[in-house]
Amino acid sequence: MSGGEEVFERVFWQALNDLKEGSEKPIESYLLLVPRGQRDELGQMLADVLLARGPLPDPTAAESEGYKRAVAVVDEVLGRRGVAGILPGTLKAMRNARGIEPDAVVERLAADFEVRGEEGRQDLARNYHRLETGKLLGSKLSRRLLDSLASVFDVDPAEVLAAARPAAKGPRLKSAPAMGRSGGARGASPPRPAAARPPDPEVELVERLFYGGPDA
Amino acid sequence: MAEFDPIEERAVEMLDDVELEAVRVKTVGANDERFEFVLWNLCLRGVPVIERVCRTRGEACGLSDQEIELAIEDAAARMLLRLSRVEPQPQVHALAAEIAAACVERSWPSQQQSAPRLTPRSPQLRLVPGLDEAIETGKVRPNDWENS
Repeated sequence: MSGGEEVFERVFWQALNDLKEGSEKPIESYLLLVPRGQRDELGQMLADVLLARGPLPDPTAAESEGYKRAVAVVDEVLGRRGVAGILPGTLKAMRNARGIEPDAVVERLAADFEVRGEEGRQDLARNYHRLETGKLLGSKLSRRLLDSLASVFDVDPAEVLAAARPAAKGPRLKSAPAMGRSGGARGASPPRPAAARPPDPEVELVERLFYGGPDA
Repeated sequence: MAEFDPIEERAVEMLDDVELEAVRVKTVGANDERFEFVLWNLCLRGVPVIERVCRTRGEACGLSDQEIELAIEDAAARMLLRLSRVEPQPQVHALAAEIAAACVERSWPSQQQSAPRLTPRSPQLRLVPGLDEAIETGKVRPNDWENS
């Protein structure tokens, strides 16, 4: 390595170390340390580093209301991480931040999957609520449901898919009926005759979307 | 890349942004439970940038304080989504700035109310031939609002 190259490399690493430690000097002072013919190249390399690093945080930001609210969002989303990963928390946080009512999300999903009947819509609303409250398994959510949610919230479908990955040690799921609310303190309702009503195809579709796995 | 003891959280906090991002990729890919702590630390580094970018750009766009705070919350949630991906992500300050800018630039109620229905027509300007020479030689003087 020639003497000029050695100086160039030493100055570049000095600038990087200073940036890392937050004690950087004006860029010109680094450029002056290398021969004139190498200044453009060093300037370009330092510009690339600064571009990749992005803007510096405001040192007073930690005291602001916005900072506290953002940290609260992160805390809540991570704290609710469970069998559907961080998806429930992020969906709720984005919905709240954008002032979107749950009904509006359900409406969009109903439109996407052409669910027009009352029973199908109610099932959709019930399952979306269960998803947002972390009661559904991320691994059982269908890809087309996740794609539709990504479209509703205008985010990359790959991010929604990644966010739904379950936590390694998520809370155990309580057994719950696939449809309908649990009876609670009330007595169990009398069983319906099996052949009394054929299953609603829209309800079946909704159940597949939320419980049928990625390919459903 | 620095290896760290899972119970030694301080070791994670001491990593620089690039090392922390590398640990994130590794823990996400392995579904390692330490992912949560790594993500928390990355987000703490990104949140001040989100706050700054949303505040400055939001004010420039005419957003209210409440809207700016909602944009900050939205950006925090979206940063979590991005950081849950297995693929390596840009340096956390750059990522936070990109997401914050996108959150501010979506449509907001205050902008919809104050936006004019019709934009004014842009003026069509043309240069008078020879005017520059005439000004230079003193044949023509620029308009003086006090004398004209």
